Amino acid sequence: MSVIKAENINKVYNEKTIPVHALNDVSIEITKGEFTAIVGPSGCGKTTLLNILGGLDNPSSGKVIVGDTEITKLSDAELIDYRLKHIGFVFQAYNLIPVLTTMENVEFIMLLQKRPKVERDARAMQLLEEMGIGDKANQRPSQLSGGQQQRVAVARALASKPEFVLADEPTANLDSTSTSALLDIMAKMNEEEGATFVFSTHDQRVIDKARRVITLEDGKVISDERR
Amino acid sequence: MLIKIAWRNIWRSRGRSLVVLGSIVVGIWALVAAVGFMNGFIVGYMADSINHDISNIQIHNPEFKRDKEVKYIITDAETKIDKIQTWPGVKAVTSRVLVNGMIASPKKASGVQIRGIKPKEEARVTQLDSLIGDGAYFEGIKRNPILIGKKLAEKLGVKVKSKVVLTFTDSHQNLTSAAFRVAGIIESSSLNLNEGYAFVLQSDLTRLLGVQDAHEIAILTDPQVDESIIVTKYQSEYPGDLAETWREIAPELALIQEMYSSMLYVLITIVMIALVFGILNTMLMAVLERFKELGMLMAVGMARIKVFGMVLLETIFIGILGAPIGLLLGWSTMFYYTQVGIDLSAYSEGLESFGYSSILYPYIENSTYWTIAVAVIITAFVGAIYPAWKAVKLKPVEALHKI
Repeated sequence: MSVIKAENINKVYNEKTIPVHALNDVSIEITKGEFTAIVGPSGCGKTTLLNILGGLDNPSSGKVIVGDTEITKLSDAELIDYRLKHIGFVFQAYNLIPVLTTMENVEFIMLLQKRPKVERDARAMQLLEEMGIGDKANQRPSQLSGGQQQRVAVARALASKPEFVLADEPTANLDSTSTSALLDIMAKMNEEEGATFVFSTHDQRVIDKARRVITLEDGKVISDERR
Repeated sequence: MLIKIAWRNIWRSRGRSLVVLGSIVVGIWALVAAVGFMNGFIVGYMADSINHDISNIQIHNPEFKRDKEVKYIITDAETKIDKIQTWPGVKAVTSRVLVNGMIASPKKASGVQIRGIKPKEEARVTQLDSLIGDGAYFEGIKRNPILIGKKLAEKLGVKVKSKVVLTFTDSHQNLTSAAFRVAGIIESSSLNLNEGYAFVLQSDLTRLLGVQDAHEIAILTDPQVDESIIVTKYQSEYPGDLAETWREIAPELALIQEMYSSMLYVLITIVMIALVFGILNTMLMAVLERFKELGMLMAVGMARIKVFGMVLLETIFIGILGAPIGLLLGWSTMFYYTQVGIDLSAYSEGLESFGYSSILYPYIENSTYWTIAVAVIITAFVGAIYPAWKAVKLKPVEALHKI
């Protein structure tokens, strides 16, 4: 079953001055439960594609359909609401809210979704335990290591059980031990919770773990390998 | 959660928040102090003029207002006074016999208004007895006692018990002179009391002038009473007389009062404009520093209106924190100086020449504290609008990739 469908996506920056083609007629389809890595050298368009799939950026042409909704037609406010209800994000720089505790960070999306407190607390604690950082629930992000912070970010992304999680180079700032631990956790979540993951990465360890690898070069899909 | 994030965000950059908090506190304190001191000057001046000189309401023969001739008296003044005293809102009433003349000592002479008063009634209306600095209030001198201001006494070179001669034209147009002896010296910042008036017993003056009735009735009202109601009532009962409130008698005082109200708002506006730029600058810095974080909030689904509200809340919290501290500081300053007064005697000569007291007692109405508090909250709100707007105009995808 298709979760995300991108059809003939083109993205051109500086259209009026010196056009830069970031994406060139890209069409991909992600199905439920996939653990997909979008790979390629720097500047190949990985992040741009991820941003467009997540409704953070608009394509110059083409469309993105998530479930039954063509998100490329949504207004800014509708997109914010859409992202809140359907997509989980993991960023390269963790991007946790520094003034909230680990627990509160994980609860944050559910709170925006107006979920009841009991449900929020239970789900956040469950995820933190599964991530192995249950004992850090009341600590602030600044008190955690990079690996621990990224685990909190993954927990935040998964907390509201989104249709898919988009992770932009999630291991770029992590050492090998933290990377390995994080990948194990994400793989476990993929298997146990059926969460659909789409990564952009050029980290070989992530690529090795992925069950589908889409390779981009100069804004074009040059291979799509399922393992 | 929004409130929690906003509150904690304030303390992220403790130093910066304390600077904003400090500017709000100092701004409010300075504003309270400035309003209090300005108020002290004006209220003191007006209170001196109304309570010790003009009174709330004066009644005259209409002709007397145009031409200060002795013959233009208020007929049946005492009967009218007896009636007025029973009206609600009237605290005290007195009559005066007035004539312009000369006061002379062996050393010098000066023009004065000679006011024939009834000591007890006058004291109730103008508290004239409380202004005696040297000597006594019509006591200690058996025949023809007189009270004069300190400045006039200095000018004439007279002291208590000194003899002075009053010269004026009586009701038969004859020039009359009589010797009086100084019973007391009046000390007041009022120019009239200080050197423009000479107070004698009404019975002495009526005898010398050859008049039976008074030229002026002065009424002291309760502070909360609208004087114009009493004026209207009097005019309907005695249309032949002219009753006026202090606003009509001394329009310059009414103008000062109006100017003061405008000045208060001008002062508040100036301080608040300065504050608005301080808040705007600091909050803009806070927003610019958090571009990435704000972009993330919108990326994960936080509505722009909530981001806007969060930035506004941060500033309003600082305003809510700073306002009571500033008000308390301002109130304490006012409380202290209301008790001890501010000694401006170094400038007393200049101040007294304008009729101001050399001891300033600051004064501020309770409602002004509320006005200032509300103005600060509004200022904080206004100062935060641009930074908050800047925050919501962010494109999450661009903000997330800012270094």
